[in-house]
Amino acid sequence: MIEQEAPAASAVPRKRGRAIVVTSGKGGVGKTTTTANLGAALGASGASVVLVDADVGLRNLDIVLGLEARVRHHVLDVLEGSATLDDALVTDKRVPTLRLLAAAQTREKDEVDTAAFRDLIASLRDRFDYVLIDCPAGIEKGFANAIVGADEAIVVCTPEVSAVRDADRVVGLLGDGRSVKLIVNRLRPALVRKGKMLSVDDVNAILRLPLLGVIADAPDVIVSTNKGEPVALDAASPVGEAYRLIAQRVAGTLTGEPEIPRERTFFEKLFGSLR
Amino acid sequence: MSARRIVLTSGKGGVGKTTTTANVGAALAKRGHRVVLVDADIGLRNLDLVLGVEKRIVFDLVEVVEGRCQIRQALIKDKRLDNLAILPAAQTRDKTAVSELQFAQLVEQLGELCDYVLIDCPAGIEHGFRNAIAGANEAIVVTTPEVSAIRDADRVIGKLHERGLPLRLIVNRLRPEMVRSGDMLSVDDVTDILSAELLGIVPDDEEVIDTTNRGEPVVLQPESRLAAIYDKIARRLEGEVVPFTTFGAPGFFARIFGKAS
Repeated sequence: MIEQEAPAASAVPRKRGRAIVVTSGKGGVGKTTTTANLGAALGASGASVVLVDADVGLRNLDIVLGLEARVRHHVLDVLEGSATLDDALVTDKRVPTLRLLAAAQTREKDEVDTAAFRDLIASLRDRFDYVLIDCPAGIEKGFANAIVGADEAIVVCTPEVSAVRDADRVVGLLGDGRSVKLIVNRLRPALVRKGKMLSVDDVNAILRLPLLGVIADAPDVIVSTNKGEPVALDAASPVGEAYRLIAQRVAGTLTGEPEIPRERTFFEKLFGSLR
Repeated sequence: MSARRIVLTSGKGGVGKTTTTANVGAALAKRGHRVVLVDADIGLRNLDLVLGVEKRIVFDLVEVVEGRCQIRQALIKDKRLDNLAILPAAQTRDKTAVSELQFAQLVEQLGELCDYVLIDCPAGIEHGFRNAIAGANEAIVVTTPEVSAIRDADRVIGKLHERGLPLRLIVNRLRPEMVRSGDMLSVDDVTDILSAELLGIVPDDEEVIDTTNRGEPVVLQPESRLAAIYDKIARRLEGEVVPFTTFGAPGFFARIFGKAS
């Protein structure tokens, strides 16, 4: 048989893609949503992107991208040789340069060999501009696997004491060898003003990381997640715009301090967003 | 009489396990029960923060298991409710520091000291999860009305069934206005998908963010509407039949005309 895995390394010049793990320690702060939206925004700008769901047993990236019905094979199939990488990669419906490599749902994280996972990430870097790895919550084996092949990390943190503490622990575990940057997610400017929520400065006084961006808490993220449509592809959404700016900052095409979401003024509330 | 040993779990992180553990525990303690809360999230502990006892930790769960202190030395009594105590997790160790058997034995010993042991499970279904469920004889599954949380809860419920653990469901952070507009799953949707018995419905309330940051469980705020909701959950745990608050809340016209829908 002729080798099916078409554009193999020999035919196509190898890329030297960036492998970035999206992590947090605490669960539910928005890792998967961030991975999906950052990937969609990078892909929509023309880069080739693969999103890797490292949450074996509790996968969700497929749902957030609306691709759950198209998943045929998963990471463990590839690692165990029962599927090729090309069989397992799912192409996004909306962004043709965006691919998903799903996690296995009915397997355990302990079944993933850390060295094999590192090699898989390395081979993906040969083929894509960006390899974004969606890390599971916690700091167990799944975390160790998710970070092993990444030389950059994005820490997602919400402005809550418990999330900051967990993020701080994760930053320590990521070590000095990686570039680590911060996204503050689900900020509610009105609560910050009332002194009922930590500010971005409060968060970063503890974490002290370069800030990639700040995402405001918005119900349209819940809606887009349930629908499987990343908000970053919605040109009219302010949260989508925030993700697009983060993508530009990751790509290095945008510099300067990220904007911090502010409360809408009375007139903006009355007449709708100015965007 | 042996204590009830209840694990609070979810699969997905950030759905409110720790907040629920603290508030259900405080609600049970307010009702006169002796309650011990166990933080099973070794390495990423947070229950101490939510209860505001983080500065009073001397010993932790791993030190108890390793025999380096007595259980009573590691238990921290709450200053507001004297029949509520917490056993904090270790922060600088990892979850493999304790085996499932050791965890089960620990929970059993704690059960001799109180009426309810509530175990705050870490996110995920790895070693930390297996530890947290090892000593429990019932479970509360906490979920939010989001597709991803429900999928994870479903996976966890499967694992609890394998263990033969009876379970009930708390649907957390419901936003009634989003349910009405069709942008959020309803409680019925959630219980249908998971086919699990309902223990409580907790609406989304920004008060929780503030009280969590300050280390004061919302149950202890007398005028809080959530305090009443957690009290109902505590009463249902005791076996009382308490009707569920319907958050199908009155629409605009009903409110204007004072009709409850």
